Amino acid sequence: MKPIRVPSPGALARIREISERTLTADEMRAALAAPIAAAEEEETLSLIRWFKGRYPTPGERLAYGRRAYRRWAAAQAPESGAPVDPDPVE
Amino acid sequence: MRGSEFDEVEFFRAIAASEARALLIGRRALIALGIPVLTADYDFWVHIDDIASFNGAAEAQGLHPTRTPDEARARGRFALENDERVDVLVARSVPTVDGVHVAFVEVWSRRRTLEVGAGVQVAVPDLDDLILTKRFGGRPKDLEDIRLLEVLRKEET
Repeated sequence: MKPIRVPSPGALARIREISERTLTADEMRAALAAPIAAAEEEETLSLIRWFKGRYPTPGERLAYGRRAYRRWAAAQAPESGAPVDPDPVE
Repeated sequence: MRGSEFDEVEFFRAIAASEARALLIGRRALIALGIPVLTADYDFWVHIDDIASFNGAAEAQGLHPTRTPDEARARGRFALENDERVDVLVARSVPTVDGVHVAFVEVWSRRRTLEVGAGVQVAVPDLDDLILTKRFGGRPKDLEDIRLLEVLRKEET
């Protein structure tokens, strides 16, 4: 199996720039008007039902969220020193 | 205090006890409601007159504000930090990127509460309002969260 190459810092910065940009009002309106496809809806419902079934209370779900973030952070590229925040400040 | 010592339930308990009008928003609210997304921090929208009491509650968890209440009121947002980070919005009203003005007092009046520990409640916006708060930032990732919330809303109705 071919090993996954970590993108360059420049590529990561460009991805971040794209994902963190603020949409225009027209882009937002267009996105809100776009219907959710049946397949996407079913996949999301499946995920929500699993999560709420496995972790029935808000407290359990929040605890899961903290564990999941710790696992994710620990798995980030060790050479970078610190994990990239998946949900950075606006 | 190290982040690893952070007690989330006690944090929410202290906020509730402070009687600060504080709404958990952002991805942490999505998680509490039943959507498994990843996030590092906490986002709150706090009534502009309740900054000091909110900060007092956070102080017990070793979280320190980045700005004084007056500075926070002037800027509309601040953060509380140690190894954890809490982003706090304190505006009376916030516009979405597509021009809808969302008033804190109205969102607060429609809030729902979630039990996050024995006898510990946290306030979150109603789903429609939480979707509106996701339109404040208006980033592509916020759109993803809006779509997830729309499916959750459909599931709950």
